[in-house]
Amino acid sequence: MKLLGWVYLALGYAFVFLPVVVLVVFSFQDGRLPVPPFQGFSLQWYEKILSDSGLMTALWHSALVAFISSGLALLMGFLAAHALARVRLPGSVLMRGLLIAPMTVSYLIIALGLLTTFNQTGVKLSLITAGIGHVVINLPLCFAIAFAAMGDHQKNAERAARDLGASEVQVLWHISAPMLAPALAAAFFLSVTFSWDEFIIAFLLTRFEVTLPVEIWSMLRSGLSPATNAVGSLVFLVSISMVFLLEIFLFRRVK
Amino acid sequence: MPRKSLTALALLLATPACAEDTLNALVWCDHTDPTLIEPFEKAHNVKVNLKEFEGTAAGLAILDQSQPGDWDVMVIDSVDVHRAVEAGKLAELPADKLPTADFFPALVMATNNTVDGKTYAVTEKFGYNTISYDKTKVDPKDMEDMAALTSGKYDGKIGIYDYYLPVMGLLALGQGIKTADLNADTLPKLQDSLTALRKASKQVSDVVSSQTALATGDVDIVVGGGEWLTAVLAKDNPNLDWTIPKQGGLRWSQSIAEVAGTKKADLALEFIQYIVSPEGQAALAQSSCYWGMPANQKAGDLLSPEAKAVLRWDQQPDYIARSQLYPIPDAATDAKMQDMWTAMLNQ
Amino acid sequence: MSIASAERKLGWGLLAPALLWTAAFFVVPFLAMLALSFAHMEGRAIVSGFDPGNYIRAFTDWSQLKALINSVEITVTVTVISVVLAWPLAAIIAWQVPARFQRLALLMAVLPFWTSYVVRSYSWLLVLGKNGVINKALMGIGVISEPLALASTRTATVIGFVHFFVMLLTLTIYANLIQLSPNYARAAQDLGASRWATFVHVILPLTLPGVITGAFVTFVLCIGDYITPQILGGNTELTLPQLIMLQMGRSGNFPMASALSVVLMGVVTVAYAACSRWLRLDRL
Repeated sequence: MKLLGWVYLALGYAFVFLPVVVLVVFSFQDGRLPVPPFQGFSLQWYEKILSDSGLMTALWHSALVAFISSGLALLMGFLAAHALARVRLPGSVLMRGLLIAPMTVSYLIIALGLLTTFNQTGVKLSLITAGIGHVVINLPLCFAIAFAAMGDHQKNAERAARDLGASEVQVLWHISAPMLAPALAAAFFLSVTFSWDEFIIAFLLTRFEVTLPVEIWSMLRSGLSPATNAVGSLVFLVSISMVFLLEIFLFRRVK
Repeated sequence: MPRKSLTALALLLATPACAEDTLNALVWCDHTDPTLIEPFEKAHNVKVNLKEFEGTAAGLAILDQSQPGDWDVMVIDSVDVHRAVEAGKLAELPADKLPTADFFPALVMATNNTVDGKTYAVTEKFGYNTISYDKTKVDPKDMEDMAALTSGKYDGKIGIYDYYLPVMGLLALGQGIKTADLNADTLPKLQDSLTALRKASKQVSDVVSSQTALATGDVDIVVGGGEWLTAVLAKDNPNLDWTIPKQGGLRWSQSIAEVAGTKKADLALEFIQYIVSPEGQAALAQSSCYWGMPANQKAGDLLSPEAKAVLRWDQQPDYIARSQLYPIPDAATDAKMQDMWTAMLNQ
Repeated sequence: MSIASAERKLGWGLLAPALLWTAAFFVVPFLAMLALSFAHMEGRAIVSGFDPGNYIRAFTDWSQLKALINSVEITVTVTVISVVLAWPLAAIIAWQVPARFQRLALLMAVLPFWTSYVVRSYSWLLVLGKNGVINKALMGIGVISEPLALASTRTATVIGFVHFFVMLLTLTIYANLIQLSPNYARAAQDLGASRWATFVHVILPLTLPGVITGAFVTFVLCIGDYITPQILGGNTELTLPQLIMLQMGRSGNFPMASALSVVLMGVVTVAYAACSRWLRLDRL
């Protein structure tokens, strides 16, 4: 039984890693097609993508949109969670539902709705419109995580601070935020991950300046090439480095 | 932090617009090749913003949702120029400033590019939608007859190019219907052959997926293919070939035009002039997304003998004679064709 | 002013940004789309009005209805397979892997999550193609003589989806399992239940909330996805998101695209209603 478990685990890992391994291996392909046979080791495709200004600009755009939209989503989500957790308001269940609702709607529909609205109001598509869409999808996430993390322990600390004459801003800044720091950080980085990698909203709501997934999509559409493998591998490397750093420096300690 | 970053974002978005002049172009994927665009950008110190689209309907929809001045130039199927002009989307071009005298005569296409004696667009590139195949895996003789496709011999080895106009045009030729005669009455006659072709095929895919499938051996034949499909791959896979079957083939051609309402008419014209100049034409002919014959014959001097061989430069008179233009359906027929196509995809 | 009303004012103030944002960029756009779905096309012009034609077409025109059926079939298949594969994976990590390696084991199991989403489908294309890794390997060891037709099929789409969602579900189910006290199982066994009975009647029901929540998220993400079927399915059939993109991108028919989107949302709502009993979305 135990052996069976290990075998299953190994198979599970094999399945999960198969495409990643293939992706990385053929990014070093010394030939024009990223399919077997492997024709030799070459770094030419990495050179090619690192000198591709369109790709590097898209990378920068993605980072910009991801961090700013996640920051906004976190700020609004945290404030709303604080309000709903602390103050008794009429219709609070309804409002919680409304704030969570975008989570249950496909990104495609959010994108299409925004596109319709922007078209009708004459708003020009840009990185900002894509960023607005990303806040819409990440706000529920940040709200839910912050809301779930607010416990009695923290409520008591807030009350104590308030009794001692702290203003609401001081309470939020000096008590609530630090106490929730791990949850807020998790929410922020989860949002960054989602926004960074989001395709359909960025695809439909941008025009000339595009984000990385959209740029990769047009790369894909201009031919099967190990360069796409190289971009994919590079993004993967950056992302997992971030994950491991966070794991080591942030989450390990608070656990 | 958010406020500071927002300022940074605003600055970043604002800078390119002020730093240098820009030209907004609505194009097909072959125009996104830097070897085509960069020389123009350097020579005129402008930034050419490119947005890809597929198909005239999508292009016109984008223009519908934009304000005048948003777009300066666009690429369009030559056969659809009239549609765009009727919708008021294109601006007149000064015919005397275009080198059409150097063009292949059949490709000046005055009847398509001109409306009421006014020139609205100029042909930039052309080629054929016929049958591409891997000559080591199929019998090249079979490819001379369209009937072989649905004979059963090649079931599951066929890919269809995902664009309804050329493929349905080809099917019409297979039925002995001229593309110009394709209308609401003749359209139903294509239904059976469309269904049969779909049954025999493995996939229906866009330009690049079709290239990929042929190159990796996922399919051996691509219906609707031509030099535009195989030329890019010629270096890696010399076994790929294409032919015009005895029933004939379709000739595609794309034109470039100035969008009505542009505030940069001079720059737009200069861009168009660059594209149809021998240099621009040679680059466009060998663009990374797909290749095609340049409309301007003078580009021939700038093409290598190998490139000319791949493009079949010398056979052009014969090919032009044996091919017909894309069907030009009216709105109702067009909608019906698209519906038939969607139904075929989901067959 | 009483303390209560001051508090309330403050509460509204803190809520306002999030509520306004959601209203302006989620509720209003949705209503705009809903209104548009009742418009129709005359030539290239969108004529607004109250015309249910798009909805009638969505359910009576076979080529449109087929997309809905395909989407539901694929999504249900993917959800079921993913749950069945992920549950044991999560259980092995939670119960068999030594505690101090668990976090690492879990992290490893979801690491490919961080490959770019578009690239992930693309790499499956390389794996499943006729000349891809799987076919080359199987032919190399002589299991098959003819390459399997994996790419450009529904199977490829399903594999691509399952890969992603197994990772997601392993996470949610693991989170659920780890909270289970081993006392439940011990108590059941003390009362004479067999291992199998313990599993079916005690452990499985206790993990149901985690499973259902994960399955619902899988359902929502899967049925609304455009990239995976577009890259891996080879247009051999259309899913609803592909049809929506076609109606919008190729035909410029925004009203039909809107109507199909509303239908898509309807399906998700039905799924939500079906599992709302167990759903804890705010506890994801």
